[in-house]
Amino acid sequence: MTAEGLRRRAIGQIILLTVGFLVLVAISTTSVVLVNQAREASSRVVHTVEVENQLATLLLDIRRAESAARAYLLIGTPQFLTEHDTAVASIRPGMTKLRDLTNDNPVQVANSAKLSEAIEQRLTEFARAVEFVKNDDPAGGVAMLRQAGASDAVRDIRDISNAMRAEEDRLLDLRTKKADRTQEMASFVTIAGSALVILLAIVSMLLIRRSAGERDAAEARLRDNNLNLEATIEERTADLREANEEIQRFAYIVSHDLRSPLVNIMGFTSELQELRDDIFKRIATLSKAEASETPVLSASATADADDLGLHGPDKQLLQDFSEALGFIKSSIGKMDRLISAILNLTREGRREFKPVEINSRELIEGIAATVAHQAAETESTIRVEPLPTLVSDRLALEQIFGNLIDNALKYLKTGVPGEITIRGKMKLGFAIFEVADNGRGIDPQDHQRIFDLFRRAGTQDRQGQGIGLAHVRALVRRLGGTISVSSKLNEGSTFTITLPAKWTLSNRGKVE
Amino acid sequence: MSNPVTIIMIEDDEGHARLIERNIRRSGVNNEIKPFTNGTDALNYLFGADGSGIDHKGNALLILLDLNLPDTTGIDILRRVKENQYLKSAPVVVLTTTDDAQEIKRCYELGCNVYITKPVNYESFANAIRQLGLFFSVIQVPQVNS
Repeated sequence: MTAEGLRRRAIGQIILLTVGFLVLVAISTTSVVLVNQAREASSRVVHTVEVENQLATLLLDIRRAESAARAYLLIGTPQFLTEHDTAVASIRPGMTKLRDLTNDNPVQVANSAKLSEAIEQRLTEFARAVEFVKNDDPAGGVAMLRQAGASDAVRDIRDISNAMRAEEDRLLDLRTKKADRTQEMASFVTIAGSALVILLAIVSMLLIRRSAGERDAAEARLRDNNLNLEATIEERTADLREANEEIQRFAYIVSHDLRSPLVNIMGFTSELQELRDDIFKRIATLSKAEASETPVLSASATADADDLGLHGPDKQLLQDFSEALGFIKSSIGKMDRLISAILNLTREGRREFKPVEINSRELIEGIAATVAHQAAETESTIRVEPLPTLVSDRLALEQIFGNLIDNALKYLKTGVPGEITIRGKMKLGFAIFEVADNGRGIDPQDHQRIFDLFRRAGTQDRQGQGIGLAHVRALVRRLGGTISVSSKLNEGSTFTITLPAKWTLSNRGKVE
Repeated sequence: MSNPVTIIMIEDDEGHARLIERNIRRSGVNNEIKPFTNGTDALNYLFGADGSGIDHKGNALLILLDLNLPDTTGIDILRRVKENQYLKSAPVVVLTTTDDAQEIKRCYELGCNVYITKPVNYESFANAIRQLGLFFSVIQVPQVNS
């Protein structure tokens, strides 16, 4: 998974959470609004019911007044008059209350005004009828009421109250519907919102699970990669080790096989040498016989021109012959030394290192003691300063310092007694040694070359195959260290060797 | 000696063979030398057609053996010789270029009697062979009569 993808996913999750939160807020707000609306709607419904109720109460009061008035007219008992008065007394406040209740609706305001007028007219009629009774003219009152029974006021009251009821019924219907709708909407919003929130939660959970799954997969992949890497490294190391062993085996076999023909060349060259002796002895004998002299042969096995008494061209022939044989033999000797050196190197390469604790000062002083004779010959001095103790392979260290000290003694500046100093210190888990001399030095352009096999630098006036430093470098590398040289021509050389203070077997298998 | 010792020389390099033979002769040893240039021929001769080695019952043999042979290894020949009841008493001189300590040890473990490394230096080489010649003249090769 790329970093870009990860960032996109994180942003996506934040957006998801934000949306979920916003939905929750919206649901809450909408719910509050809708609940308020529902409460209002139901209060309106209650209001309508109140209005109808009031209207019914009012009409009932009117009927009561009317029937009390009629009873009073017919019977004339004052009890009915009281009842009529009570009813009339409650009509007016009832009318006012109705008017108050309906003043929110212009239609009902108009209706109640008309109703009020009709009721006033009707009440006036009642009052007049009552007056007739009080004036002891019930018949006049009955007639008046009879006439008034079909009057406009009664009809108006009935029509208007019907209209008002119809209006209120319509409003009730309307408001009930609205309240229902509001409630429906509230529940819908709640359900939809909850569903949305649940959906978002599920989506976000899925996303988290997926990303967790991906993370697990990535972790597993990482682990696998690590394992693979280790396996690969092991494999490569094994390959390299194998290749290294192969090279060493190869070098070993080749050097042996090279040696075999060399034995022949050397053997038959020596045979030739003997043949040469025989041939020249015969030539000497013959030429002396020709010169009529008694041949006196030297008992010496080696053919020497003077011993044999050869002269002129014969002497020249013998010299040429000997020179050719000499070159062949010295070349064979050189080749044999090179092959031996390769053999020794491969043998060294195959040797197992054993880490032991080594007091390097003691070790180097031991080496100095073995070359004391050589040093005395050239009046050279070897100074060993205090040196660190380290864990390494003893034989390898002996060879490293032995070679370096040997070189220092070998390549002195002409006429200057050698001064060789070995210094050492510990630094960051590494032992650093310096082998410094005041010898002939090494040209900086040869600094790399001197560590190569069979390569040498400077004046070639000393015996050597060019193996020492190559061998030293191979050993230092196997011990997990490094070697470098700082030197100028005629100004001495300083070889610096850095070795791990604690070499363990685990460093083994390092490729040389 | 009723039965003169036969020297079996197993050496693939003819030059070496010639030099060895010459130096043996020079040391005054005149026994018959049977040269073989490969392991197979030598084994055929040593063990006969049936591979039992019974042909050489009672023969006095001395084997000069090179380790680096083209077809088999000298080590193999050495082991087979030393495992054979008729041949195991024949002295085996390993004469080879290999101077590996492991190899030398192995040869002696397998019953080799003398191990000589061929020196490139001819004087040493000739000297070694002549010494061997002296050695031949003093050793008693056992008669296999059983």
